[in-house]
Amino acid sequence: MLEIKTLSKHFGGVRAVDELDFTVRQGEIFGLIGPNGSGKSTTVNLVTGIFPPTAGEIIFDGRDITTAQPHVTLDAGIARTFQNIRLFNNMTVWENLWVAQNSAEDKKATNLLSRWMGGSRKAKSQVEEYLEFSALADKRDELAGNLAFGEQRRLEVARALAAKPKMVLLDEPAAGMNREEVRALDERLRALKARGITVLLVEHVMELVMEVTDRIAVLNFGQKIAEGTPSEIQNNQAVKDAYLGTSGD
Amino acid sequence: MDFYFGMLQIVGLHTILGLSAYIILLTGQVSMAQAGFMSIGAYIAGMLTVLAEMHLIPAMLIGGVAAALVACIVGFPALRVKGLMLVVATIAFGEFIRIFWFNFDYQISRGGVKLGPEGGEGFKQIRFFPENGWSTLDVAIFIWVVAGAVIAAVWWMDRSRAGKVLRAVGEDDLAAQSAGINLTVVKVSAFTAGGFIAGLGGSVYAHYTTHIEHLNFDIVMATFAIIYPILGGLSNVFGTILAVIFVQVFLLEVLRPLGDLRNLLFGAMIIVVMNFMPHGLFSAQVASRIKGVFSGRKEGANA
Amino acid sequence: MDYVQAIVDGLLFGAVYALIGIGFTLIFGVMNKINMAYAAASFAGAYVSLGIAQVVGLSGDFGLPPFVMFLVSAVAGGVFAYIVYLICFRFTPDHYELASLMATIGTLLMVDEMVVQATNGEPQNYPEVLQGIFDNPMLEFSEEFAIRGDLLTLFIVAVIATLGLLWVLFRTKLGLATRAVAQQRMAAQLCGIRVDRTNATTFVIAGVLGGLAGAMIGAVVGTLLQSLVVIPLTIKGLIVTVIGGLGSIPGAIVGGLMVGAFENVFLAIRGVTERDMYVMLLLFVFLAFRPQGLFGRVAVRD
Repeated sequence: MLEIKTLSKHFGGVRAVDELDFTVRQGEIFGLIGPNGSGKSTTVNLVTGIFPPTAGEIIFDGRDITTAQPHVTLDAGIARTFQNIRLFNNMTVWENLWVAQNSAEDKKATNLLSRWMGGSRKAKSQVEEYLEFSALADKRDELAGNLAFGEQRRLEVARALAAKPKMVLLDEPAAGMNREEVRALDERLRALKARGITVLLVEHVMELVMEVTDRIAVLNFGQKIAEGTPSEIQNNQAVKDAYLGTSGD
Repeated sequence: MDFYFGMLQIVGLHTILGLSAYIILLTGQVSMAQAGFMSIGAYIAGMLTVLAEMHLIPAMLIGGVAAALVACIVGFPALRVKGLMLVVATIAFGEFIRIFWFNFDYQISRGGVKLGPEGGEGFKQIRFFPENGWSTLDVAIFIWVVAGAVIAAVWWMDRSRAGKVLRAVGEDDLAAQSAGINLTVVKVSAFTAGGFIAGLGGSVYAHYTTHIEHLNFDIVMATFAIIYPILGGLSNVFGTILAVIFVQVFLLEVLRPLGDLRNLLFGAMIIVVMNFMPHGLFSAQVASRIKGVFSGRKEGANA
Repeated sequence: MDYVQAIVDGLLFGAVYALIGIGFTLIFGVMNKINMAYAAASFAGAYVSLGIAQVVGLSGDFGLPPFVMFLVSAVAGGVFAYIVYLICFRFTPDHYELASLMATIGTLLMVDEMVVQATNGEPQNYPEVLQGIFDNPMLEFSEEFAIRGDLLTLFIVAVIATLGLLWVLFRTKLGLATRAVAQQRMAAQLCGIRVDRTNATTFVIAGVLGGLAGAMIGAVVGTLLQSLVVIPLTIKGLIVTVIGGLGSIPGAIVGGLMVGAFENVFLAIRGVTERDMYVMLLLFVFLAFRPQGLFGRVAVRD
């Protein structure tokens, strides 16, 4: 579904991502792991069009999105969350989801005026559905900036879903969460999979990645050093070396 | 009595001007070019009623559209410069338009009288209201019909999804873009809408004063436009209206006995407010209570 | 030959634009904010020197020697710049740049009005203290082309002032602190540099340069007129700063000279009323094709 072909991004002399190749298949949960500074976040930013790559190609669903801007990659069907949560803090939970309904389907389904001015009834009822899904229904009129940390993370995922993506890219969704919250996240990821949404999970919390993903790619210094199922990765010598070599965190 | 009608007229005109900046400010862009857009509406509508002897209403609409077009063209390069650079760019653009009118001569002779803009002398005899026998009260009502329409339109837009989209861009344009919002469309639309409203306000202003000149649209006017929504706190349109009343009625009229020191007072007021209440005079709570009164329901209790 | 004369005169006069641009850019460098009142406050310094000269007279028995005018203007410019720092930056929220921006715009309007009140909006004759240091014209190459002595003096003073600034920035502890704050504010704070004091000092230095620039403009033009000086030169200074690249001193120098030459050529072609429109067009061309300016860093996100 998502094909990354010899993707590179250089910042000055630094090769943040270096000739990276991997493919995410439809309907799976794909993990992207690696030590700090290994190029995970850069990869996410390249896929979602925050900045263009130096070289290489990104194909999603048969469509070339290599140089597409963020709103275009969303149109193509990729939604994302941010490592350091970026919500619209002075808007309510409900409004955060309302503005995010920008999928290609939304744009076709309703005419321009009703979409911009009010949004259709159907669109509004879908907001309710995402509120339920992320267990935020009772916080709907709360300002996003006043939510607890875990709630903000859930809202950000809900906002990504509001665009009805084919794939979501989650950038360290478990960072700063306690054990219980991680377990709840695990369940929600499986629920996403059950809905047929492909997940690209960039994560530091190993128990979650090993538990929930179907396949994993490991990055180090911008290059892929291993790819396989969780059990294969756990027994891979190159991966062990990479993590032991830099096991700071 | 005419004094109060005059006051009413000024508040109405400045409300239109403030709301033109409000829309652009929602997207996080500070435009110091609103006085420039206003002057485009003023000169064009004035030339249409005086030189082409058009009726005021279509002339106003054409003036507004002309200002909107210019604002739209300004909006595109404005995408490339953000924050403080945009402030410099829009100040320069506003001054550019002002100097343009300073150099703009287009006069025709009718019945031995020369009509039309005459460079630094300005554009005199925009006499649509007196020629059609409108009283001060009529003009005040007319200004408030236009202002009311603008207030209603902006208020409605603000509550709609479009308003939330503008605010989302203003809060975090990267997150907004990643949530599928096309920044180019939104920012340029905001500039265009702001330009249209300013142009509309300018065309009313030209006929209200009957004599415009480039100095009417200087940096002081541009500062008025942007300071109203900032003082008003941006939570809704009513904050902006309150700010207009505060500045125009309280500050400049009630304190008039202090002498002809309007700009001095105005500048000092901005400095004081920015030091002590940088997020505006009218807190979100006051504004939401007023909003609650107008929309007939209680809202934002936890704001 | 006309254009050569216009360009040379413009380049020489552009030195004062460079000084103003350096002031804006210095403040932006340390604060990451724009001080819209900077140029106006410094010119208020020039008005103070003018006021003193009008009271005591120049030279004569108890009068002021001409160069003291410059000194007074520079000192007053520095004092005003410090006041601007206090009322617009010291107590406004640091993370909310709209507050300081609007406060400085308010100050700009206030200074403008104060000058109007003080002068009744009339042009004020400024003693031409730059005359007589060199012959005027200083160098006559032909009938049509000469270098004006007063402009040459102005240029030399500006160069000395700039060298002085560079010496402060690169050879003194104060300059080291300033550069540290400009580059890594947090780290500078951790190293024990008092950011507040460094900021204030930078404002004063910029104000001194601006006061000097204001006095020299008065001396060369022969008059100071509020409606042609306070706000128009603020805008021109901002344009120089943006063209040079926000935060870049070499940029401000080159930008200032460039704007000076450019506007003088258009003065010759299109006349004084249209001159500034072309300077603004030059800015728009830069914004469209090179928004980071001549020497600016390419914008790094956040």
